[in-house]
Amino acid sequence: MEFPIFQVPYLGNGMTIALNAVFHVVISHGISIGVMAMVVVSEYLGLKNPSEDWENFSKTLLKPTIIIVTGLGAVTGVGIWFITSALSPRGIGSLLRVFFWPWFIEWIVFTLEVIVLLTYYFTWGRWTGHRKRYHIYLGLSYVLFALASAFLITGILGFMLTSDGWPWDQSFWSAFFNPSFVPQFLLRIAGAFTLGTLFSVAFLLYTFQKDPFRKEALRFLSKIAFLSFFAVFVFSWWYFTVVPSAFKTDIIFSVLTSRFSQQPELFWYANVTGAAVFFLFALFGLRGSPTLLKILVVPTILISIGFVTEFERIREFIRGPYLMPGYMYANQVLLKENPFLDEKGALKGAYWYNETVSKPDVTHQGAYLFAQNCSVCHTIGGINDIRDRVRGRTEDGILVILKHAHEMVPFMPPCSGTEDERRVLATFFYQLSNKEIEIGAPSRFAPLKGFRKNE
Amino acid sequence: MNSLFDILLKKPLSDVSLQGLLFITFTLHMLFVLFTIGTAVLALYYFTHSWGGKRLQELRWDKEILRTFLGHKSLAVVLGVAPLLLIQVRFTVPFFTGLNLVAPFWMLIIPFLIVAFLSFDALGHKMDVHPYLHLAFGIIALIFLLVVPGIFVASLVIVENPEAWLQIVKKDYQLSNSLALHWLLRYLHVLGAAILFGAAFHYFFSTKDEREKKSSLLKWIVAGMLLQFVLGIMLYSSLPEKPDNITNVSLMAGVIAAGLLLWVIFLNLNQNVNLSLKTAVPLLLLILIPMLLARQSIQNRKLFPFAEKLQANALTYGKKLEPYSHEALNQYKLDLKIVYDKGETIYSKSCAFCHGENAEGKGLEAKNLRIPPEDVSAIRTTRPYLHQILIKGVPGSAMPYFTFFDRYKLDGLIDYLNKKYHVVGLPEPIPVKVSEADVQEARKIYAETCSLCHGTDGRGTKLSRGFKPHPPDFTVFSLTPERAFKIVTDGYPGTAMPPFTNIKEDIRWGLVDVVNGKRMR
Repeated sequence: MEFPIFQVPYLGNGMTIALNAVFHVVISHGISIGVMAMVVVSEYLGLKNPSEDWENFSKTLLKPTIIIVTGLGAVTGVGIWFITSALSPRGIGSLLRVFFWPWFIEWIVFTLEVIVLLTYYFTWGRWTGHRKRYHIYLGLSYVLFALASAFLITGILGFMLTSDGWPWDQSFWSAFFNPSFVPQFLLRIAGAFTLGTLFSVAFLLYTFQKDPFRKEALRFLSKIAFLSFFAVFVFSWWYFTVVPSAFKTDIIFSVLTSRFSQQPELFWYANVTGAAVFFLFALFGLRGSPTLLKILVVPTILISIGFVTEFERIREFIRGPYLMPGYMYANQVLLKENPFLDEKGALKGAYWYNETVSKPDVTHQGAYLFAQNCSVCHTIGGINDIRDRVRGRTEDGILVILKHAHEMVPFMPPCSGTEDERRVLATFFYQLSNKEIEIGAPSRFAPLKGFRKNE
Repeated sequence: MNSLFDILLKKPLSDVSLQGLLFITFTLHMLFVLFTIGTAVLALYYFTHSWGGKRLQELRWDKEILRTFLGHKSLAVVLGVAPLLLIQVRFTVPFFTGLNLVAPFWMLIIPFLIVAFLSFDALGHKMDVHPYLHLAFGIIALIFLLVVPGIFVASLVIVENPEAWLQIVKKDYQLSNSLALHWLLRYLHVLGAAILFGAAFHYFFSTKDEREKKSSLLKWIVAGMLLQFVLGIMLYSSLPEKPDNITNVSLMAGVIAAGLLLWVIFLNLNQNVNLSLKTAVPLLLLILIPMLLARQSIQNRKLFPFAEKLQANALTYGKKLEPYSHEALNQYKLDLKIVYDKGETIYSKSCAFCHGENAEGKGLEAKNLRIPPEDVSAIRTTRPYLHQILIKGVPGSAMPYFTFFDRYKLDGLIDYLNKKYHVVGLPEPIPVKVSEADVQEARKIYAETCSLCHGTDGRGTKLSRGFKPHPPDFTVFSLTPERAFKIVTDGYPGTAMPPFTNIKEDIRWGLVDVVNGKRMR
């Protein structure tokens, strides 16, 4: 590969991206879109009714919201990009070339979004009388920009699962408006409104104690929560109908992982229980029962965050071997490059390996081949530890598994390299799993730290 | 470096357009970065200033200054999207390499920014805490904030010096002394610029007509500029390569504009009038733009030929891969049609390369395994035992575990194997008639020899459970008589099971009968 390789020790590359990504999605969807939409709607209700309570609610909800949106939402969004830039440069570099224009337009939209949001915040209370309406329009335009931002990003995310005709025609339009684009966009919006109403209800319950406004607001927000959660169901179903069955078949495993894959009922129990708690919450909300809601709101928010995590995990996992389906495997090897590397060797053209590794023995070769082929998902000594994955297998068995990884495990990319290189990697794994050699949780293949040979 | 190559996909814009957009968007981004850092530094300074002067109750310039932090930092972040995009497209390999070589620090940028942003936003809003706590909070936030440009500058220094990359890796990812000095000066130069631009912003937008505040901020402006002169000269002399004429002209233009601004400031001071926005803003832009032009020019000079080489190499590499392209796409198309949801598919994709399409243990890889794969078609066992083998594998052999399939899928696999090969059930009776005497002899042999490993009851012994692979549990696992007979006769290669060719054939059949007779379920 043309880039040096950095691996996140212990946590692993995938988990690092996932933690940041889930955090970002909860904020960008739930708060930047969902809560902000509730702020604007509340302001509108304050003007329409007219009601000081709605106006106050809107105003007090805005302050923490703007700090979270600008301090956490924007930064963690860029954070996903930052992290993938370090961990998956060829992947992100290629995506940037395919989606340059949506990315560039996203910059404009993102900037306008922030400018409008700041203006909305700083002009609160200053635009009064007939100008109040314009203030609401300003809020509304913020929400529209936020939706536009989600629109642009969804095109790219959809492509990473359903690249459709792009691998053949390399046409931008078939890449962006891929089959999962529309349902995913609608699903994200429905999810945003669900989370947004939940956060707003929590804010209402723990800050506003005054009835009858509280009851009225609870009923109103619960109605939106109920409808949007129902929409989440519908759009989830639509979304998964367009995902290729080859990917969809790994959904249960993606959620349960190896640890719980033999109790697949857990998948259904957890999801049904989560949905039931949510509907219970909405029901109490529709009845305007603040006491029960105070107890339920925190678990419901946690469940909703769980659903977000589950969806993102499924989406990222089931695309399995691919980072860009039809073009690039998850480990950044191109589909057409894999047979080339199998023939000519993965080490031969590896600039960073050849120039920085002074001792090309099995350990160093193995460490590079691991970093290149496997480190996107596996670690040595951390989450999804490769030593656990191969422990107990014979060396020749590991070699066979490496050779057939791609067909044996449907979500694994092929292990690229010649037969000899795979043999080196098998020996390396065998020695690692049998503690014949030890290395510290590596972040680099050169210099390889904490290397020890046990006699 | 000759073998490095650019990303194979085409760039969406010409290099010139990318370059132009990069400069414009980077300038915008930097402006707000400088405002953000300047605002943070000044806010903390004015807090200590008020506190030290015992004017904390009446004089809260720090609050007024920090109020703008929300806007500055938000715009700094969002405006950074375009230059990051453009540089990653224009100088893909150098940029990703630059940040990769400082990756552990690069990964800290996001958490550091979050801490800094939330802290400053909290201090700037309604958070009134004890002054000591305020100071501690502010200092921590400022440190976190100031680390970030340091990391960016470090990665840019690496980006611009490809010839130093290998040296950096060999020095355990540390910059050489000369590059480290260059980094330090460049970083300080950014901080100096932040003080100058931050102070200028607040001079015009946070003071109204407060003379005392304006006068104080003016001192910061002048101090910032003087610092920039000194740091600028040092930075210039630390450049790894002698700058070209474009760089020199740009720098000179910036220096002249800075000189002019200083001159205007002293002129205004003499006349006791405030600095005018209309005069200052063009001059400040005339300082910023040429300085950034110079930066860009240094970067371009280093990277243009390298980027060309990378693109040429990408073309060559792309051509080498082209013969594989068609086949790879066809294979992808086929792979998309394969759904691992049926036992038959799972067997054919995940098992057959060892166990063979007909499950006789003669797959493609069988010859490469010291312990041959089992003849699956001969297995006669229970569903739970087979499931256990599938989820644990057989330690000491090549047989992996299959927990990467959920139980529904493994049930499907077992169903398939059972339907086709009747693997779930009791073994068939032995196909030959064996005399009672031979059966008795077989029992005796089992008790004296086989039971040492397989246990009297067929469940194995304490000793043999430590074998890798260990023998199967005969009470729940058996094989067809023919297969069992073959193993008794030839042994199981690669395992502790030896051949027993020396035993009479009928007794071997008797042994099969004894062993299979231990099945309880």
